[in-house]
Amino acid sequence: MPLSRFRSLMLKEIRQILKNRQIIFLLLFPPTVQLLIFGLALNPAVNHLSLGVVDYSDSPASRDFVAALVANDVFEIQSFQPRAADLGQQVRTGQVSTGLVIPPEFAERLAMGQTVDVQVLIDGVDANTAGIASGYMKQLINHYGQTLAKPPGSSSGSSPGPPVETAVRFLYNPGLLSSWFFVPGVIGVVLTLTGSLVSSTTVIREKDVGTLEQLLMTPAQGWEILAAKIAPLFVLLMGDVLLASAIARVVFGLPFRGSYPLFLALSGVYVFVAISIGILLATLARTQQQVVLLSFFFNVPLIQLSGAIAPIESMPTFFRVLSFFDPLRHYVTIARSLILKGVGLEVLLPEVLILLGFAVLLMGLSISRFRAQLN
Amino acid sequence: MKRVLSQALKELNQFRRDRLTVALAFVLPLAMLLIYGFAIRLEAKNIPLSIQDFDQSALSRTYIERLFATNQFVPTPLPGPAPTSALDAGTAKATIIIPPDFERQIKLHQPVTVQALIDGTDVNNARVIQNSLRATTQFFLRTSDLVPEEARSPIHPQVRLWFNPGRREALYIVPGIFGVILWVFPSMLAAIALVREKEQGTLVQVYASDLSAVEWLLGKELAYLLVGLGEAVVVMTVATVLFGLRLQGDPTPLLVGLVIYLAAAVAFGLLVGARASNQTGAVQGTAIAGFLTALLLSGFIYRLENIPFPLSLLSNVIPARYFIVITRDAFVRGTGWVGVWYAPLAIALIGGFFFRTATRVLHRMQFSD
Repeated sequence: MPLSRFRSLMLKEIRQILKNRQIIFLLLFPPTVQLLIFGLALNPAVNHLSLGVVDYSDSPASRDFVAALVANDVFEIQSFQPRAADLGQQVRTGQVSTGLVIPPEFAERLAMGQTVDVQVLIDGVDANTAGIASGYMKQLINHYGQTLAKPPGSSSGSSPGPPVETAVRFLYNPGLLSSWFFVPGVIGVVLTLTGSLVSSTTVIREKDVGTLEQLLMTPAQGWEILAAKIAPLFVLLMGDVLLASAIARVVFGLPFRGSYPLFLALSGVYVFVAISIGILLATLARTQQQVVLLSFFFNVPLIQLSGAIAPIESMPTFFRVLSFFDPLRHYVTIARSLILKGVGLEVLLPEVLILLGFAVLLMGLSISRFRAQLN
Repeated sequence: MKRVLSQALKELNQFRRDRLTVALAFVLPLAMLLIYGFAIRLEAKNIPLSIQDFDQSALSRTYIERLFATNQFVPTPLPGPAPTSALDAGTAKATIIIPPDFERQIKLHQPVTVQALIDGTDVNNARVIQNSLRATTQFFLRTSDLVPEEARSPIHPQVRLWFNPGRREALYIVPGIFGVILWVFPSMLAAIALVREKEQGTLVQVYASDLSAVEWLLGKELAYLLVGLGEAVVVMTVATVLFGLRLQGDPTPLLVGLVIYLAAAVAFGLLVGARASNQTGAVQGTAIAGFLTALLLSGFIYRLENIPFPLSLLSNVIPARYFIVITRDAFVRGTGWVGVWYAPLAIALIGGFFFRTATRVLHRMQFSD
């Protein structure tokens, strides 16, 4: 009776897992912490940038100008400095990240209707933040300047604002919440790390302790041994999917606009991918220590090329092409589309097929390697 | 002291004999440097942009030309009639909708609104796209002489970016990678070495010898500090060649900071190894924890100031955060001790705490047996 044999093998695996507190811990604790830290700590917001001001003009006009620049939360005055050299030293030591120098002739030139240059210093070490900050600064100054330019008398007749206004609407994530970008990706990261870790440790332990030989002496086939190992892990990891989506929904308020059953089904496919990676690592390594290093070796590029943390569009071409061979990339795309965009299977079909392909390929590879080692 | 040295030598010999670990100890950091150094770019270039031009006039075409002249956007067709179709399918990151009376209204000096739909999923690039669309529109107005002279802003900002005028993201990311790599690998190797002694039972032999716990740990500390220095030399040399990093100014803060930082990393690994039960899974879990904190709470990717309250406290005790201050200064800013004097002190404090706790844990184990 192969079915009852399979069942008893599986019962043995379940009992082993339940006895092993560590695996239960690994399934619950790291995913929760990872989701929370990623979702809360990674935030590209550009606001409350510290601004140092040198106001050589020291006039009502310059004070009004400075007040207008810090009216919203992007820039925040950290200090007023008497000389530009002091401001430079503050930028150098990292005390302020932006600086503004208003020339002495600021008020007079504006009053005479002439143009005036103001100096803006930005700490460019953080290239990305510096780019956005410089864009904001130019917009703010330009905006303030245009309100000045309107001569008070003639403003009633002609155009009240700039002739072309760009009305921007952010789709899918109107509040530009960074957690909405990171959390769907991190669900994939969590499944990769936890799935490969749990499955590699269960396989390698049996190899380490030598009970694998004992299993081999039973009439059970290689695939039966492996299937009995995989099935309970699959169920447990699907529990992680539920846990992760509950955190995403409750803590981060992610919208889950697409079909949730479809999300679960595709997450299930990805769980197979993660388990296969773990088994593959276990067949490549001889000891538990090697598994630790090897899993680092595989998981770091897998995560980095997936677009979960840094967008794929900004990678150089070589890595963009390489990322195509990263199963996590396709899962992250699917998760983001289903959770944020709410598109259906018809749009996602290519990604879904690729993910299925990866699942079949990796599963087949890990099973055949596992069997080759058994013989 | 002599006993510490001989202990360190023994440890290094053991390390050298495990070929796979030696290979991984030097190949993994390099692989990580390459992947992070090349693949983490926050700002997207060649952003796919689709356009729905209901006006089809000379002026609207000039406007479109201006948008693509910045080389930041790449034109992408709309796959369907709905303006959101390209964003839904993910083929474009933004869609511009030009209203049918664009040219006529401008000629009549009536305000016109151009709609920009931006994919807000990637928050950072949504902001980048918004900024550059606004800036391009301003530029279009000025170059097409659509704003009368007297309506233009009289204040001209002269923006200067210090330290990194070309806004090369590698200058920001790569010094940060040093912080992550030189934390993760030395600590992981030290933790694995300690757990191995426990699993093989050689730790008990040490208890029986007259070597004290502190001496034994110091020997390991020294050995893996040397391994870490080797890794640091390899990684930093490759990085200067590949990413064009150059040491700016005084190199002593970097040298002092590096030794203290590596010592702290090894001490952390020893602590993890001492605490862990005999399961490698625990070491792996902690390695991931050390990796994630060094990656996420150190200001490696986004500004430290953006970390919200309870987590921001935690980030204060992450040594990587202080080391990254040192490396960014050494390779980009070049301010020297004035700007970073506090960082080596903070790392030494945290590292000292790790080492003390590790000796205590080992002490307790010795007497509980």
